[in-house]
Amino acid sequence: MNTAYARIFGVALAAVLFVTAVTPQVSAQSAEIEVSRLQSISENCVSIKNTLNQLHASDALLRVNRGQVYESMASRMMDKFNTRLSSNSLDAKATVSVTTGYRTALDTFRKDYQAYERQLSVAIKIDCRENPGLFAVAIDDARSKRKVVHEDVQKLHQYIDDYRSAVGDFLINFERVGQ
Amino acid sequence: MDTDQTPIIPQPEHEETFWDRHRFTLLLIFTVIIAIVLTCVSMVMYTASGAAQLDLSRPGYQSVSDKVDRETKIDEYDAFGPVTTGTIKEFRELYDEQAAKAKAVDAFNGDPLNPEILEASPTTGE
Repeated sequence: MNTAYARIFGVALAAVLFVTAVTPQVSAQSAEIEVSRLQSISENCVSIKNTLNQLHASDALLRVNRGQVYESMASRMMDKFNTRLSSNSLDAKATVSVTTGYRTALDTFRKDYQAYERQLSVAIKIDCRENPGLFAVAIDDARSKRKVVHEDVQKLHQYIDDYRSAVGDFLINFERVGQ
Repeated sequence: MDTDQTPIIPQPEHEETFWDRHRFTLLLIFTVIIAIVLTCVSMVMYTASGAAQLDLSRPGYQSVSDKVDRETKIDEYDAFGPVTTGTIKEFRELYDEQAAKAKAVDAFNGDPLNPEILEASPTTGE
């Protein structure tokens, strides 16, 4: 019994010693990485700012171009077909439902892009030579917001596919009823 | 012979108030204040609505302002007309073409803000 307790105690002690020995090394490593990152930001401040300005402009252009196309898909295709079905007294619930989801996703895309653009503008305004830490935090935040915008784009593409499927289902039902 | 003592320019019956004396100046000041307030309101709306982010004529966007895509346009489907198997299939074909245009670009993919990519750039312009 005493031997079992001694073994458990020994294992626990070894674990504690291992953790206390390894943890400072890990935190020291991450601190080193952080320090070298901040140093790199300070040294490459001008080139980073140039890259960010280019990204800012190219993303704005992308937003304008893709936004027009996404808006047109709803207003020139989905809405028109839904109206045609409704004006012929046909059940357009499924296609209208997908269109509503698409419009909601489009609104989310607009809002998320605004949040991303604002965050990137904030980052660009920070003096990265004087405040590399603040700049790094702002960039990390902008990075995560850009990922969200990309996810929104993928959702929009999914809704475009869903609408196509809804039209396909409608056609099958329409043919079945017509026979 | 009587001479008429009545003055040619009639005298005001009461003294002029501050408003009477500075009417034109105050009108100008109020006009400028209203213009400033309306400009502020429109600027807030311009920024808050997201219109500012679509305005490529802003400083910093000149390099891309002439690159707006005017070629990729989504065709318009006619909202009125009969619904037959033929028209639905016709719509589906048109929709597939337009959907291909909409999905042609996987926008905002990649990770340009990744520190390893962004901060490893060579130093330029120093």
